[in-house]
Amino acid sequence: MRSIKSLWLVAIRLALAALIGSSLLAAPPHYGGTLRVKLRAASVSLDPREWTPGSLSMAENEKVAALVYDRLVTLDDYGKFQPALAMEWTHDASFKNWQFKLRPGARFSDGSPLTTAHAATALQSTLGKNLEVSATDTSVNIHALHPAPDLLEQLASGRNFIFRAQLDGTLIGTGPFFVAETTAATPSETNPAAIKPAKIRLQANENCWAGRPFVDFIEVTLGEPPLRQLMDLQIGKADIVELAPDLVRKGRQEGLRIWNSAPLTLVALRFDDSLASPAADQLREALWLALDRDTMANVLLQRQAQPAAALLPQWLTGYALLFESPMSLERARELRASLPEGEPGAAQALRLHVDAPGDLFKLMGERVAVNARQANLQVQIASPGNANGLSSALSASADGLRLFAWRYDSLSPHAALDAMLRQMPDGTEVPAAASDPEQLYLQERRLLEERRILPLVFLPDYVGIRSGVHNWNATPWGDWRLADVWLESEDSSLAKSSVATPRENSTVRTPGAKP
Amino acid sequence: MDSSAEHPRTENSARFFVALALCAAALAAGLLFLFASRASAEDNALQDAANRLAERVSSVPGLKGPLHLDWHADIKWTEGESERWQQAVIDAFDDRSLSFTQDPATPAPSLAVYAEETPAHVVLTAKFHLGERDEVRIVQVARALLPPAELPVTPVRLNRQLIFESSDRILDASSLWSTEGGGLALLFYKNFEVVAQRIDAKGAVQKEISLAAANLKPTRDPRGEMNPQGSFVSVQLLDKTCDFSWDSSKDVKCHADKPLPPGKSLWRPPTGLAAPCDESDWKLIIASSEPNARGVLQVVPDGAALGSDSSVLSEFPGPVLNTSGEANLNGALVVVRNLRTGNYEVYKISLACGD
Repeated sequence: MRSIKSLWLVAIRLALAALIGSSLLAAPPHYGGTLRVKLRAASVSLDPREWTPGSLSMAENEKVAALVYDRLVTLDDYGKFQPALAMEWTHDASFKNWQFKLRPGARFSDGSPLTTAHAATALQSTLGKNLEVSATDTSVNIHALHPAPDLLEQLASGRNFIFRAQLDGTLIGTGPFFVAETTAATPSETNPAAIKPAKIRLQANENCWAGRPFVDFIEVTLGEPPLRQLMDLQIGKADIVELAPDLVRKGRQEGLRIWNSAPLTLVALRFDDSLASPAADQLREALWLALDRDTMANVLLQRQAQPAAALLPQWLTGYALLFESPMSLERARELRASLPEGEPGAAQALRLHVDAPGDLFKLMGERVAVNARQANLQVQIASPGNANGLSSALSASADGLRLFAWRYDSLSPHAALDAMLRQMPDGTEVPAAASDPEQLYLQERRLLEERRILPLVFLPDYVGIRSGVHNWNATPWGDWRLADVWLESEDSSLAKSSVATPRENSTVRTPGAKP
Repeated sequence: MDSSAEHPRTENSARFFVALALCAAALAAGLLFLFASRASAEDNALQDAANRLAERVSSVPGLKGPLHLDWHADIKWTEGESERWQQAVIDAFDDRSLSFTQDPATPAPSLAVYAEETPAHVVLTAKFHLGERDEVRIVQVARALLPPAELPVTPVRLNRQLIFESSDRILDASSLWSTEGGGLALLFYKNFEVVAQRIDAKGAVQKEISLAAANLKPTRDPRGEMNPQGSFVSVQLLDKTCDFSWDSSKDVKCHADKPLPPGKSLWRPPTGLAAPCDESDWKLIIASSEPNARGVLQVVPDGAALGSDSSVLSEFPGPVLNTSGEANLNGALVVVRNLRTGNYEVYKISLACGD
């Protein structure tokens, strides 16, 4: 025991010595600089009213929007809701009537005051129809048609930002940055075949109610391919990049600093409604038993994903571990043998549409086809469908099977499942009573037992971070908190000898531009 | 040296230390009482969740004890945290005549209980097999209502004691043990405003003074240090100094600081500590300030370099935010953010001689 303690002390001393060597010891935060962020999405929308729930594009939109807008409340890493634009809140015993008092003095980035009417208008456009939002002089009131004990979780996540529409239709927020400039994608001057990616330049909001962010600017480059992003990080041309799961291993081997979220994306299969014959139940069961999720997660995705047996992940519900997806080729073959030959999947191939974008999902589709073949089921990859959306993946009604990716965008498990089901062709709603975790579990179990949706894997987000980026403190659910990030000064010795203060004389451009 | 003259001085000194020890004991007892009453309410939330789960399970017809408990705790939890929950579950089931057997040879149905953390809740799930079917019962409790979880902290050769904690951000803490009534002076950043508090030996707030007069801009890097001198307090902020008296809460005077020459700092130098055995001087160095890493405080002999072999290390359950020393160098206060609970904590530390 004693030797372990000594080893620990030696290790700490070595670490300290390394810190001294790198001159990073307890350096005070540094204000200034431009944080260079690269995203895969070719474009982003800063209008939360336009976002499609569950889509991968929504996640990208939300990352940029979180820099420009605030929410009423936030959830900290310790399970406590913290005041943001709302200073305090109350609710009645039924959880149907909620009242939020706004923070006095909060202003939009153009200097105009935030009012309860602005907040109510914004929330009414993003919250579900079961929630009625109104404003009084002093508070924002939310009336839920059914008890909403999870309202704070909803308000702390998803598209429930507070914004105001300007006369020209663009939106403005109270957040730590505002959009200073946008550049559309253009053909490269040197190589007309190549595209110069779109960019959004965000500038620090000097008067943000929560304090000025540390960096002066954030430059977001859109539409960069994954490998290019990785290279830019390696050569110091980017500070923060999104890493595709298949590049994480390479990044780690090369010593990059990599952060990952909790699993935020579900990759799953959904059977089309047209498969409604009695034999279709057997087909669904057979495919469910044939899927080798472990190989998908551990080989295809190089251990950067988790096999999924539930619709909602464990970190969100706490009960997903109760669901199992046992693989049994033998039983799958038995079920296949009992299928009438005219059924899709038997003699006639079942068409699999890969609706999620990217080569990775195509590979997963091919893996599904291989698994199916092992159970003597015929699955054929169809030509690519809509490469951007989830809603189309869920609601389309062509013959066969669809592989889709669903991005969780709510901290409320009830709202997350409800959003997923609403995108189904029949627009199922999760009953309000399912806010109770046991009811929600029963609802999810029923859905899984129907085998209309077959979960495959859960994917976390991976982010590559340059070593000079400090205070990276993202939430497990994917909020990057870039306003709190600071960059090491180019002349760190100078920065260390002076007191860090916000820049008072930064040039402020007219805020509110919309890409 | 005249020995007769030395004797009374030694006696006075002894009296002073006895008085100091009594004050410290009173403060510790008061704070323990405060924590005990708060912990009690929080423990109730934990036990209430366990009771609700036991209630739901015991209401299933046909289920009879004894049972084998198959306990699964969140992998992020420490052993202590897991044991606390497990004991609450065992107690709750015992109260409902569904006891658990410890003897693996006893034939009894198995009850699996999972305790898992989600972003806002702890979810307790019971799963058991009854007849031909699996039964599942689930309850949840808001994490905000639960007692803070404990982190294992590696003990080193520093004596230390947790003396205060708060969910509000603590910028600085100063000991008032040498003043009448004892207690602590604390500087908070509460809801984007700097607030000074004086708490008594029982942990009750005696005075609260807002430094709104400083007209500070909200900041993501709030920093402040307080220097109490009797009833007067001087607070050093990022570019301002505020002075006030605990006796006159409305009379807070703030003024902008003059720019400092290069190399000079507004902030206090490293906190000093004296070793009681040989009166050697040591200083505290905060070794890391990243928000999501455990803090390591290093105590080095005065004049020695950081990383010196003769240093003493102490790991805290989160980043060390500030340190302040007592005038007599006997002890120091360390402000830490506990990464497990999110609370801000104040530890009193002192050097101990020997291992």
